[in-house]
Amino acid sequence: MNTAVGKSVRRKEAWDKVTGRAKYTDDFPIAGVLSARLLTSAHAHARIRGIDISGALALEGVKAVLTGADCPELFGPLTRDRPALARDVARYAGEPVALAVAQDDYTAERAVRLIRVEYEPLPISLTPSQSLARGAPLIHAQVNGYRKNAPDIHPEPGTNIAGRYRIRKGDSGNALRRCNTVVRQRFFLPPSDHMAMEVRTARAEISSGGDVIITTSSQSPYSVRNELSEAFLIPAGKIQVRVPFVGGGFGGKASVMPEILAFLASRRVGGKPVRLTMPREQDMAAAPGRIGLEADITLGASKDGLIHAAELTYWLDCGAYTDISPYMTKAIAVDCTGPYHVENLSCDALCVYTNHTYATSYRSFAHESYTYCIERTLDMLADRCALDPLELRIRNAIRPGSLTPTQVECTAALTGNLTECLNRVRQLSQWNGGIATPIKKDTVRAMGVSCFWKTENPPTDAISGALVTCNPDGSVNLHTGVVEMGDAGQTHLAQMFAEKLKIDTDKVHVVMPVDTRTAPEHWKTVASLTEYMAGHAVVRAADDMLCQLRAIGSQALGCPAEEIEVAHGRLYSIKNPERFIALKDIVRGYKSATGESIGEPVLGRGGYMLKGLVMLDPETGEGRTGPQWTLGAQVVEVEADRKTCTYRILSASTVIDIGALLNPESMRSMLAGGMAMGISMASREAFSYDAGGIPRLPNLRTYKIMHIGQEPDYRVDFVETPDCASPYGVRSYAEHGIIGMPAALGNALSSAFGRQLNTLPLTPETIWRTRAEDVHDTL
Amino acid sequence: MIPFNFVYYRPDSLGAAAEVYEKLRREGVSAVYYAGGSEIITMCRAGAIEPRAVIDIKRIPECMILSPGDRRMTIGSACTLSQIGESRMFPLLALSCGRIADHTNQCRITLGGNLCGSIQYRETSLPLLLSDADISLYGPEGARDVPFHSVFDGYMRLKPGELVVAVHVPVWALTAQCAHMKKTANEKIDYPLVSVAAVWRDGCLRIAFSGVCAFPFRSQAIESVLNDRTMTRGERAQRAACLLPAPVTSDAEGSGEYRLFVFRNTIDEILEGWENGTL
Repeated sequence: MNTAVGKSVRRKEAWDKVTGRAKYTDDFPIAGVLSARLLTSAHAHARIRGIDISGALALEGVKAVLTGADCPELFGPLTRDRPALARDVARYAGEPVALAVAQDDYTAERAVRLIRVEYEPLPISLTPSQSLARGAPLIHAQVNGYRKNAPDIHPEPGTNIAGRYRIRKGDSGNALRRCNTVVRQRFFLPPSDHMAMEVRTARAEISSGGDVIITTSSQSPYSVRNELSEAFLIPAGKIQVRVPFVGGGFGGKASVMPEILAFLASRRVGGKPVRLTMPREQDMAAAPGRIGLEADITLGASKDGLIHAAELTYWLDCGAYTDISPYMTKAIAVDCTGPYHVENLSCDALCVYTNHTYATSYRSFAHESYTYCIERTLDMLADRCALDPLELRIRNAIRPGSLTPTQVECTAALTGNLTECLNRVRQLSQWNGGIATPIKKDTVRAMGVSCFWKTENPPTDAISGALVTCNPDGSVNLHTGVVEMGDAGQTHLAQMFAEKLKIDTDKVHVVMPVDTRTAPEHWKTVASLTEYMAGHAVVRAADDMLCQLRAIGSQALGCPAEEIEVAHGRLYSIKNPERFIALKDIVRGYKSATGESIGEPVLGRGGYMLKGLVMLDPETGEGRTGPQWTLGAQVVEVEADRKTCTYRILSASTVIDIGALLNPESMRSMLAGGMAMGISMASREAFSYDAGGIPRLPNLRTYKIMHIGQEPDYRVDFVETPDCASPYGVRSYAEHGIIGMPAALGNALSSAFGRQLNTLPLTPETIWRTRAEDVHDTL
Repeated sequence: MIPFNFVYYRPDSLGAAAEVYEKLRREGVSAVYYAGGSEIITMCRAGAIEPRAVIDIKRIPECMILSPGDRRMTIGSACTLSQIGESRMFPLLALSCGRIADHTNQCRITLGGNLCGSIQYRETSLPLLLSDADISLYGPEGARDVPFHSVFDGYMRLKPGELVVAVHVPVWALTAQCAHMKKTANEKIDYPLVSVAAVWRDGCLRIAFSGVCAFPFRSQAIESVLNDRTMTRGERAQRAACLLPAPVTSDAEGSGEYRLFVFRNTIDEILEGWENGTL
C-alpha cells in the first residue's frame, strides 16, 4: 500500500496562504530601498526624437533617470532583439522608454510624469496579416541581425517573420484531392493577458564586492541569473536570485523583464537596493502577454469522417519582440493536428512581428490557441459528414502505432489513451450528441466537445536537481529549484520522496523559496514539467539516501545491505524486523550502545537531465521535442438565448489521461483552475486596441475576468495509463485544463446559435456580429 | 498610489464647507468635494486630475440623512449605495445602486459622487429623473432647492463651489411599479451597454437610460412612442432607437451597432413584461 503517493495530501503552504501570512516578493521591507517607475511609450510605433529628463532630475529625491541611451544591451531568451528601454524606436504602446529611480514610489512616479518624449509616429501593423502584406512597415529593420541563443531560429530577412517551422508527412496535396469531404476555415484570435493576481515585481542590489542580488516574482530564477550574466558579462556565480512565493505566473513570469530594469536601476545608483513594482496597467500593457493567432485550416476526410489529410498554416502574433514566441511557434507545429491520426500532413507555423505588446509563454504554451482552430474545424467536418462530433473524434483518435506530426511513434505509455478519455467524458458530461435542444422560447441548451494533447518543448539539455538534508526527529528537508506559484508542485515532490522512504508526507519539509545559490538548478517552473523533471531528481535523491542508510544500517545491524529495509520511520533487516533503528537515530550517523560512531550523516542528492530530445529536421519537422504527451477530452454545456445572443455556461467537464494520480484533490483543483481560466479567456478576455494600436483601457475596470458566481459546474475525471519513463507513471498536467476549453465553448455556442464562430473572445457581441455578417453574406 | 500632496479638510457644516472652498478658490488652490473617493482616487492615480485639496463632506449632517418623510423621502448625498440599498425605502434606486460596481465599492461610492462623477454612466440619476425628485444644493451663494431635472441634463450643472446636499423623492415614487435592467458585455459586474430604469405612473411608462449615449437621459419622445400601444413591441423598440438624444456610444465595452441591438432587445423585454404583467 502507498504511504504518500495517491493521497489527497493538503498542500504544504496551505495554512500560510489561507491566513494571508504567505510572503511574496514585495512583502519584504528593507531599509534604504529606492523605488523605480517606468515611463512607457504612448505610440504603437514611433521614432524617439528626443527625451527631456531635466524636469524629472530636478525633482528633489530623484536619484537617476535612465533611457535607452544608457543600456545598449539587447535581451531575449532565443533572439536577442529587445532593448531594456526603447532605443531610438518604440515598437509597441506600453514599451518602456525611461526609468526613474527615486527615494520612494511617490517621487519616482512624479518624476516619470515630468519626462518629456518627442515621438515621430511610424506606420503600424497590428495583425500577422498586416505584417505579411506587401508594403508592410518593417518592425525590425534587420530581423536577421540579432544574436540568437538557439540554432533552430530562422528569421526571414526583409520581412516581419521572426521564425518558421515546417512539418511534412506523407503527401497532403495528393491525399486532399482524393478526399470527398474537404473543410477549410480561417481563424483570427486576438492577444490577451495572463492576469496573475500578483503584478510583476523585482528588487536588485549590488554588494560592495560586486555580488548581484535579485529578489523577484519569477518562474525562472536560473534564467534571470543566466540572462543577466550573458548580457552584462557578469560571472554567473556572482549573481544570486531569490524567489519567494509567486502569486500566479501562468507562463507570464517565465520571461526575464523587471529583473533587468531593476538591475540597471541599482547599477546606476551605485548598487543601492532598488525595487520596481509594475502597476496593473503596465503589467498589462508593458510586460508580455498572450500571443494572438491567425490560422488557415484545411482538413480532408472520407465520407465516414476519417481524416486523411491536413494542410495547416499558423501565424503567431508575437508582438514587437520575440521572447519565447519562436518556440511557441515550434510547439504549435509539433502538436499541430491535435491528438488525431493524420497520415498526410503539411504545416507551416510562422512567428510574425506586429506592433502589439510582445508575447510570452501563457498556460499551455500556445496549445489553447491552435486547438481552438483545429477543434472548431473538426466540428465543421462532423457537420458535413452528419456525424456526432464526439464520434468523429473517436474515429480519428491517435492510437498506438500512429505517428505524431513530427513522426514520433505513439505508444500507450508515451501518449496515453484518448479513446478512453472520450468515452469517459461522454458519461461525465451526459453528452447529448452535440445537437442543440430547445428548452423554452428562444432558448436552447447545447454542448461542445474538444480534445487536447500536449508535449513539451524544453531545451534538449534542460536540467533539474534535488538535495535532501535530515533533521534530528527523522524528518527531512527537500530543496529543489521549483518555484511555488499555486500549482502544489513542491507538495507533489514531497509525496514522491515520502513514498520512496515509506514515511508520511508530513515528515518531508519543503523549502519553498528558491535561492539560486542554495537550491539545485531547475530549468524553469514551466511546461508542467515539475513532476517529471524535478520528480526524477527527487526519486534519485531518495535512492541516494536509501543507499547511504542501508550502508550504515548494515554496519549497525551486522547484516548485508541488501537485507536492509526502510519503512515507517524505521530501518531494519527484513530477516529480523524486531531489531530496528529509528530513522531519527541514524540519519545523522549512528552511535551504537557502546558509544561507537558508525557511518556518516546522510545527505540525499539527485540530478536529472532530459535525454533523447532533438532539434527538428528543418524540412520535415521530424524529431522529438518533449519527454511525453498528455491528452484528454473536454465538454462545455451552455444555455443560450438565441434572441439576445447571450448565454450561460452550465457545466464544464474534463477527462485527462494523467498517467498516475499522485494527489487526487490537488490535481482535480488544478485542472478546474485551468478550465476556469480557459472559460474566462474564451468568453471575455482580449486586448482591445484603437486604430492607432493603443490598448484601450488596459485595467481591471474594463478588462474583465470571470468572477465567482458565474462559474459553471466543474467535473473532472481521470484515466491512468502510466508513462513508464516518468516517476510513478505521472504525466504533465498542470497547464492542461485550459487547452480545450475555448474550443469546447466555441463548439457549444456554434451549435447553440447555428453559426460558425471563428474568433475569440466569444462575447454576445461576437455572436451577434457573426450572425449579422452571415445574414449580410446571404444577401 | 497618488503621486502628489493635497490638503484634506473635514468641515462639519455646509457653511464651513462652502467657506473652505471659497478660501481655496481665492488662493488659487484646486479643490474637490470628497465623500466615497472611489473615482477621485482612480483619476488621481491615472493622472487625469490633480486636486490640491479635498473637502470631505461626510461629517456634514445634512449630507448623511436617509429618512422617509410624510411628503417626500430625503437621501443625503454622502449616503453610500449600499446604505441606500439596505434601507429598502426606494426600491427603484436600490435596484440601480445594487448594479453599480461590486459590493466592496458599493460600500464606498456615494449617491452624490455617482451623480457628479465624470464616469459617464451616473446610473443613480435614472430613478431620480423618473420620480419628479428635487435636489438640495449648497454653495458659496447659499442653499437652493430645485427640481432634479432642472440641474441634471446628463451632467450635474452645479455652480462653482456648489455641492449636492440631498435628494428628495415624492412618496408616490417609493411604491410605484418599477423595473430596472442592466445589460453588460459579458460580465455581470461591469459598465452598462444599456442600463434602463422604468416607472409606471397612472398607467403610463416613464423610462430613462444610461450607457446608450455619452450621458444618462430621459426622453419624452421615446416615452411617447413606447406608450403608443397601436404599435407592436418591435416597432416601438425600433422607433425608440431612432430617437436617441445623441450618437450611440461605441467603445471597448461594445460597438454602437451592438448597443442599439441590446437597446432594442431591452426595451422589448420591458414592454413584454409590462404587457404580460410579469415585471
